[in-house]
Amino acid sequence: MRICVLIKQLPDTGSALKIRADELWVDEDNLVFSANESDSYALEEALLMKEAQGGEVVVVSLGPERVGQVLKDALAKGADRAIHLHDPAWEVLDSLGLARIMAAVLKEEQCDLIFTGLQSDDTGDGQLGPMLAELLDMPHVTLVVETELSDGRIKVKQELEGGWFQYVTAQLPVLLTIQSGINKPRYASLRGIMAMKHKEIKAVGAGDLDLPADQWVAGRTLQRLYVPEKTKETVFLEGSPQEVGAALVDHLVNTAKVF
Amino acid sequence: MLAELATPDGGHTLPIPGLFYAFAFLAIFYFFYNFRRALASRIGRPESRPFRWRSLLPNALYYGVAQRKVTSRRFGYASLTHLFLAWGFMELFFATSVVFLVERDLLTAWLPVKDTPWFAALNELGGLALLLGAAMALVRRHTSLRPDVLPQNSFGGRGSLLGDSGILWVLVLLAVGGFLTEAARLVIEAPASASASFVAYALTGALTAAGWSAVQPWLWWSHAALALTLIALLPQTKLFHSLLAIANAGLTDTRELAQLRPMHIAEMLADPDADPDALVLGAGKVDDFTWKQLLDAQTCTECGRCTEVCPAHAAGLPLSPMKIMQDMRRQLYDQVDGTGDGAALIGPHGISPEELWACTTCRACTDACPVLIDHIPAIIDMRRFLVLSEGKPPEDAAGSLEKTVQQGNPWGFPKEERTQWAADAGLEVPLMKDRESVEVLYWVGCAGAYDPRNQSVTRAMIAIFEAAGVDYAILGREERCTGDAARRMGEENVYETLAHENIATLDKYRFERIVTACPHCFQTLGRDYAQLGGRYEVLHHAEFLQQLMDAGRLPQGALEAGQVTFHDPCYLGRHSGQYDAPRDVIARSVTSGTPLEMAQAREESFCCGAGGGNMWYEVKGTERINLLRFDQALETGADTVATACSFCLIMMDDARKVRGMEETVAVKDIAELVAEGLAG
Ligand code: SF4
Ligand code: SF4
Ligand code: SF4
Repeated sequence: MRICVLIKQLPDTGSALKIRADELWVDEDNLVFSANESDSYALEEALLMKEAQGGEVVVVSLGPERVGQVLKDALAKGADRAIHLHDPAWEVLDSLGLARIMAAVLKEEQCDLIFTGLQSDDTGDGQLGPMLAELLDMPHVTLVVETELSDGRIKVKQELEGGWFQYVTAQLPVLLTIQSGINKPRYASLRGIMAMKHKEIKAVGAGDLDLPADQWVAGRTLQRLYVPEKTKETVFLEGSPQEVGAALVDHLVNTAKVF
Repeated sequence: MLAELATPDGGHTLPIPGLFYAFAFLAIFYFFYNFRRALASRIGRPESRPFRWRSLLPNALYYGVAQRKVTSRRFGYASLTHLFLAWGFMELFFATSVVFLVERDLLTAWLPVKDTPWFAALNELGGLALLLGAAMALVRRHTSLRPDVLPQNSFGGRGSLLGDSGILWVLVLLAVGGFLTEAARLVIEAPASASASFVAYALTGALTAAGWSAVQPWLWWSHAALALTLIALLPQTKLFHSLLAIANAGLTDTRELAQLRPMHIAEMLADPDADPDALVLGAGKVDDFTWKQLLDAQTCTECGRCTEVCPAHAAGLPLSPMKIMQDMRRQLYDQVDGTGDGAALIGPHGISPEELWACTTCRACTDACPVLIDHIPAIIDMRRFLVLSEGKPPEDAAGSLEKTVQQGNPWGFPKEERTQWAADAGLEVPLMKDRESVEVLYWVGCAGAYDPRNQSVTRAMIAIFEAAGVDYAILGREERCTGDAARRMGEENVYETLAHENIATLDKYRFERIVTACPHCFQTLGRDYAQLGGRYEVLHHAEFLQQLMDAGRLPQGALEAGQVTFHDPCYLGRHSGQYDAPRDVIARSVTSGTPLEMAQAREESFCCGAGGGNMWYEVKGTERINLLRFDQALETGADTVATACSFCLIMMDDARKVRGMEETVAVKDIAELVAEGLAG
């Protein structure tokens, strides 16, 4: 069985972010990066499954040189090999472009299972998983909080809204987007780090893929990145209930113009 | 008491049967056959600590024979008991050897002749001491010893003959039998100096001369048999510790106690041929320890002192350092003898991870141990196994360890904000990178940089530097966690990474000494880094402030802080031996003068609970260590609890909140007392 896990590297949640001068992204100099939170859970779920059923875990990430670190961390925790997608042409991508690149790579891997985190903590699109599943023509389940694998079928518990859940059973191959908290991500041992040095990290660039360049041109572009300006203000109305009521109506009608 | 055994033939003296020699030979042979147990520790790994020939004999004599650490104010009754037992035993052993030689006319020029009155009296004292000691030990063992620190059965327990009480009864019988045998001899031989053997002499009236003659062979033979059996079985009994303790003391370099052995992980990682599966990372099996660590475990006398002083044990956490030593020893003997059930050293039938994680590395156990056992490195080696080999740090700590690597501090605050404390206070603090060379490099530390309570200590230190005109600078954002917590959690890889980075940074600059307000940083920078080639003169701020005061560079404070009591941080006190400097600083900065002492102070100080990485995870006990300590502070009636450690400060402050004493009791670092005195 082959489980592929997609991992995104992001600025660490503890970092102090500064917006770049062009207001199109954050200033990455001196930033600390780490793996997207839900992706760590996806990796752990894959490793647990491999330990229980045997097989191979392949981790995939796209991004510049620094992305190698999250792949190494994953290998140290027990993944078997890694694919690092890296090309200057891929600097600005939208979810669909990214999904097409991933699909081109993963088609060859013939994964039985593909895990991604629910969504990335930076842009929070949550689109890559479903898009990739469509491109690879396989079923997908999002927001997975529990998995149970048996005889080529997987039964998952999916989180719905308002505290509701549902169980879904699917035939492999299938793509799951994993919710944070499904397990306890492990800590990389030194023994794992030593073993990691003997594992393969395959570099893949645009030239290695059978994918025309127009396929990843971003259809969506980012206009401006900014810290939200304070737009709301709380007004305390004082006085007797009658006065407050009158003031409130006046405020709603004349200032907030809700009617 | 064996003295009578060697009376020669002739006259009225009693004959020694040839059979006795045969038995004696057998007993001694069996003793040596058994003695091979002492070598069980050879299955351990080579010792990486340098061997110190110079201390071999002095330590063996001072700590082994003279038992310097057995005597302790805290364990007064036990000390006295052991003194009687051990010196009684040694005197009798010595006397027996002397009599044996004298009877054979050997070395007579140097030895007292037979029936010398003072020698006879001395031997009676030896017998009395042994008897008294055994009686005191029996009383204590059966009435007052806390059941939770009672020995754990590894020598058969207190019920068995070879176990704790059994062996004491054997000693009682030996002493009583000796006196009786001597009484019979006095009656039969009637030496002129008979009354010098005052105990036996007093007993002679118990029977008629004919009666004594009738029982003499029985007395003599039973006494001889008991003595020879004891010799033969000694290495299997608890008394084996008497020999092992001398050997272990000689082989211990006391300066290395509680210091962790370096692993040189950078070299491991750089070695392209290293087989990750073959590397020994920490101690997961008994033969992963060094032979010296195993000898330690063998030497443990099960006295229970370590467990009695252990703060984790006192707070109901699942840790008994004595049990750790006994589990190691049981595994050792099981492996060497091929017995045992093959259960893992760390696991349900051995040492649990919770036991290991509960240790605060406070060093109380090691300082209390009479036979120089080095508990902390053994505990940390097992933590190293859990973390480095198994990838299993305590759950809450995993995040903190990862953050320490990423952001350079265990809280995971942004590394860019390491100097925010200065900016927030509107301070312009000189940075090393702008200075050619300075007198003092002030090591702020993670707590000093990020923890609001400790930022106040950092600002106090800056105020003091300015007031005293100290030529100083800080590293600012170049400073990273020293790795103390990571190291004590067994994460040597993270520790080494941080240490190498910090050493590289420090080596870029020129400074005379490093000063820090954190005893953990003091330990790491001052001692741990030396193992990796980073050698610096490091001063803890207690000593530094004392020096400034001595030099008259600070006004003697007149701060109104009410009565002050001082909590000794483990890494300043027991680990570094500095007890007076902080007290001196307090006495010279507050109006109430010399601080009040808690019941457990100085060498006997009780940990705050944060050390050994415990700041970053929690092992559940029945109580919290910091509350126990804070209550001890309250008992002094002090208005201010002073300390000199970043983490003690956090722990005491937290306890103060839990106890709802925020209005009535102040918790201060000594630097704050000094700085507030400056302002006032
Ligand atoms: S170092 Fe302190 S906490 Fe650890 S075992 Fe010894 S006494 Fe207990
Ligand atoms: S380790 Fe030392 S203090 Fe603890 S029981 Fe053994 S001999 Fe006593
Ligand atoms: S040892 Fe402690 S205070 Fe010192 S740098 Fe590390 S965490 Fe910070």
